[in-house]
Amino acid sequence: MAQTRSFNPYTENGGTILAISGQDFSVIAGDTRQSEGYSIQTRYAPKVFRLTDRAVLAVNGFAADGNMFVKKVKQRLEWYKHAHSKDMPLKAIARLIQTMLYAKRFFPYYVYNILGGIEEDGTGAVYSFDPVGSYEREACRAAGAAQSLVQPFLDNQIYFKNQVAAPGTTHPAHLPLPDVLSIVIDSFTSATERHIEVGDGLEVYIVLAKGRDLQDFEAIRARNVHLTQELTVTEDGERIFVMRLDLKKD
Amino acid sequence: MDHFPTNWGRPRNDAFDAYGTYPIHQRPNNVKDTFAEGVQHTQQPIVTGTSVLAIKYKDGIMMAADNLASYGSLARFRDVQRLHAVGNHTVLGASGDMSDFQYIRSLLDDLVIEEFTEQDEHTLGPAEIHEYLSQLMYARRSKLNPLWNSLLVGGYKDGKRFLAYVDLLGTTYSASTIATGYGSYIAQPLLRKAVEGREDTLTELEAQAILEESLLVLFYRDARSLDKYQIAKVTEGGVAISESMALKTSWSFAEGIRGYGAQTQ
Amino acid sequence: MFLTRSEYDRGVNTFSPEGRLFQGDSFIAFTNRVSVEYAIEAIKLGSTTVGIRTSAGVVLGVEQRVQSPLLESSSIEKIMEIDRHLGCAMSGLTADARTMIDHARVTSQNHAFTYDEKIKVESVTQAVCDLALRFGESVHDEDAMMSRPFGVALLIAGVDEKGPQLFHTDPSGTFTRYEAKAIGSGSEAAQSELQDKWHSQLSLKDAQIIALRVLKQVMEEKLDHHNVQIAQVTPANGFEVLDQTQLKEIIDQM
Repeated sequence: MAQTRSFNPYTENGGTILAISGQDFSVIAGDTRQSEGYSIQTRYAPKVFRLTDRAVLAVNGFAADGNMFVKKVKQRLEWYKHAHSKDMPLKAIARLIQTMLYAKRFFPYYVYNILGGIEEDGTGAVYSFDPVGSYEREACRAAGAAQSLVQPFLDNQIYFKNQVAAPGTTHPAHLPLPDVLSIVIDSFTSATERHIEVGDGLEVYIVLAKGRDLQDFEAIRARNVHLTQELTVTEDGERIFVMRLDLKKD
Repeated sequence: MDHFPTNWGRPRNDAFDAYGTYPIHQRPNNVKDTFAEGVQHTQQPIVTGTSVLAIKYKDGIMMAADNLASYGSLARFRDVQRLHAVGNHTVLGASGDMSDFQYIRSLLDDLVIEEFTEQDEHTLGPAEIHEYLSQLMYARRSKLNPLWNSLLVGGYKDGKRFLAYVDLLGTTYSASTIATGYGSYIAQPLLRKAVEGREDTLTELEAQAILEESLLVLFYRDARSLDKYQIAKVTEGGVAISESMALKTSWSFAEGIRGYGAQTQ
Repeated sequence: MFLTRSEYDRGVNTFSPEGRLFQGDSFIAFTNRVSVEYAIEAIKLGSTTVGIRTSAGVVLGVEQRVQSPLLESSSIEKIMEIDRHLGCAMSGLTADARTMIDHARVTSQNHAFTYDEKIKVESVTQAVCDLALRFGESVHDEDAMMSRPFGVALLIAGVDEKGPQLFHTDPSGTFTRYEAKAIGSGSEAAQSELQDKWHSQLSLKDAQIIALRVLKQVMEEKLDHHNVQIAQVTPANGFEVLDQTQLKEIIDQM
């Protein structure tokens, strides 16, 4: 048989995603650069997607697989809504994503998924997945090109690894929203400095539990009026906001 | 008893494990091609086109490509059109395998006719054509039988410009300047410098000048390119693809080059 | 008139020009109409079965006709578990119900596997009803699954995020939610009795007693713990069939 160079159906499109959950909120973020090798393909290709009023999915890895995967998840959510007349709960979406990824175990979607949102009990949640569907619920997770830069930072700042609490105090189990947003933005500006595949733009999705006091968020929103957009229509359920910020383009 | 609603009313297949764990059940495809062993998939492109360039400008989008189809390093076909109108609002530019491009064109022509015969007041715009091509390219890569192209889809419909890319892996993106192949290394930086932030003010003449300058640089540097090219624009008025034109090259600078070639001093 | 297929011959889902389902003048469509209607009639010959919903759970009660003293009454199975949070009582051709409950069980397990949550009572009921019209002649190259409709009606009881619920299904594939429902031979009398007795403040114990009283009224034999069966679905314990000791206790309280 003639020598055949086999076709490689995968590539890597760079970028980084990140999610952190709080007591009654969840923050899901991703940069917007899409690259292949040393080339920037576009400065704006979203990697974070609103699924329902309380679920947001970030997808990183091979962009074509990522887009197809998100499309299929959205289709399944629509079918579920028609069959069961309700939005799919967050933990059900997490399990669905596992079955969908594992169904392609032998020709995987080359994507790392992070799902963030609000659980049925009103708590903020983050689920992270590997490409073939292993998943767990966590307080925070970074994935993608700059995972190795960002995750240690989160371990230190969110889980307080290698930090000793002041005598007579303990580390908080959950951080307040303003602190979390600062950590997210700092993570991406730092990753942009040190990783060539990260940069251009940052999209931060903020999911707030139903009935949550909005004071802290309104202060942040007021400072970034033109950057912040609300994606939910109702004010009596969970609410989703997206903040769009610039990152360095070099 | 078959518990999967998608199977109902269809011929049975008792050989299949009906209790598969995947939830929305896909019907198994057991139709096996008798000649499957002998079927070959494209593993490399044969007759290829090089870069396609495109930018957004004030009135719409503009796209450019040369007229060469190479057979390896041989400049085999020197009068090939690589920009193609699809319907009234869209232009498609292709680099990569020219026979695959020809096949894609035939699919799109069928699609446009089918859509026209519906007479349902829906017309395919550039976004729809691009989505169709994305699904096609991704489906073929998933069968490990890709259509070996990088395609640019540009258009103008309902007052909106559209410019996007799709390749043999199904990778897609949209930007105000896009270049395929060598153009992504050589022309893209030039295009970005000239266009980014000026999308709404660039005139047709300026846009054309930017593309021609980039084609010229490519012709000087890309050995698979040609000095004969076409430019397509899509505006409010529809698609217009130019006749073939020649790049105005200048080689006088070569006189001054020393250190290799025929000159000794 | 018969035997020649007309353009209306498209199976049970054919409307006649008068707008009545199943009443085209074709033989096959006619047969299908008759068979669904007969199937619904057949249920009226089945043993009486009642279901009562309360805010604390749902109670199902069935009469087990012991036709011979040699018959082991415990082998008559008219109440079955679909899942931990779902139960089902039947009346009619109980053998047919096995197919439906089998489908309900698979659907429920599949849902739990895929979504990591309990399926809703309405959803599992809908899944069972999806089976109902898969009978009759085949249309072009399609296979029909069954030669005749199911001759059984079900009372599906369950507890989900919307609380305790009771659904009724019939051979036409229609399902309806009830606070209390009786099916089978004594259903007419039983239903009007339920209408009298049901109110929204019923306790689970009340419902158990009402279920037995209603059955007692319509049964030919004297009611005892051998010829009735009671099951319940509660938020705390899910589906459970009451054992003979528990049954006796309720009978004593009647």
